[in-house]
Amino acid sequence: MKEAHRRVHRALWPALALAVGIAFALSLTLRAPVPVEPPVAKVPR
Amino acid sequence: MSVGFRAVQWNRHKLVYDAVVLLGVVLFIATFMTWAPLLWPGANPVTWDILRIRAFGTCAFLMLTVILAIGPLARLDRRFLPLLYNRRHFGVMTFCVPALHAWYVLGWYHSDGKLPPLVSLLASNPHYLSFIDFPFEILGVVALLVLFLLAATSHDYWLAFLGPPIWKALHMAIYPAYGLLVLHVALGAMQTERSPIIPVLLGGAFATVAGLHILADRRARRGTGAVAAQDWLVVGPPLGIPDGGAVIVAPPRGERIAVFRDGTRVGALSNVCAHQNGPLGEGRLIDGCVTCPWHGFQYRLEDGCSPAPFTERVAPYRVRIRGGLVEVDPRPLPLGTRVTLAEIDAASEGEGNGARA
Repeated sequence: MKEAHRRVHRALWPALALAVGIAFALSLTLRAPVPVEPPVAKVPR
Repeated sequence: MSVGFRAVQWNRHKLVYDAVVLLGVVLFIATFMTWAPLLWPGANPVTWDILRIRAFGTCAFLMLTVILAIGPLARLDRRFLPLLYNRRHFGVMTFCVPALHAWYVLGWYHSDGKLPPLVSLLASNPHYLSFIDFPFEILGVVALLVLFLLAATSHDYWLAFLGPPIWKALHMAIYPAYGLLVLHVALGAMQTERSPIIPVLLGGAFATVAGLHILADRRARRGTGAVAAQDWLVVGPPLGIPDGGAVIVAPPRGERIAVFRDGTRVGALSNVCAHQNGPLGEGRLIDGCVTCPWHGFQYRLEDGCSPAPFTERVAPYRVRIRGGLVEVDPRPLPLGTRVTLAEIDAASEGEGNGARA
């Protein structure tokens, strides 16, 4: 690998890991809550 | 290395490699289609079409994760080098699988409306300014376009046409494409499915790939030689270089230098292979020639030229042994220059052994 590519590679991965890591954490945190099914009322027949 | 043109040079290793990858894809999809319905039990079981979409999407993500792990793994442990050999075929297959995923998505979700399927895909979710509701489909489309570009230019014709530096720079687009794919899943499937398996696998896969790349970069940073007299770089004791292997030296400026030992002789070449800029110093001497670990391109240690009839060349460097230490001149010699290899005498060997002990 050329030295220029090596420098880009060395800078790219930490930046990519940080950006994707933050976005991943946000997407996990902001997930819509699981919808809770309302209790079924017992209706006398 | 070729003197005659053939569209794809097949050999037994490549056939076995491709067969294993193809078999792996078929087995994965069959296993997924059989067992994944157990992940979504209950009142809304997924249909066969949706299962097929998820199977191909998951397989594509897994393939890209594996292909991106091969490079750093091979740098960290030589046992992974054989996986590098035919990685380009693996890469082309890694485009085909997500292309099928996209095709099934268009057919299932976007083929019955008034709009053309692709327009429908891009226009169905207009929340471009929202993070959590961002149309994740566009992330997948961009990643797929990058994979297409890389698959289409993977042939040696494009490598020769663009030149190794531009070709390599273009193919580094795979890294941001992987990031887009992670977000495609995080904002898509991970939002609709509540199973913890998706975030665990997705986050784990990305952390593994990123960690391997960062670790391999850190390890490659070691090995910068100390400066000796007349700006020559100290490589170390002669016997500190493995016989038939190399020590890689990083000069303050310019490309890295691979210093090889062939028995009692020491010579140095540029660490950058003329084919795909592979790391020659991670290769070894085979039949008296320095052999690139990526695709087997060979160079004579004396002049950096490929043996006839091949015509590839890399820069040679001057090497000397002083005070029991190998030193290399970091100024590359013109291509094809013949250099005298440094001979390890008994005194150097003794000092080398002492230095190693």
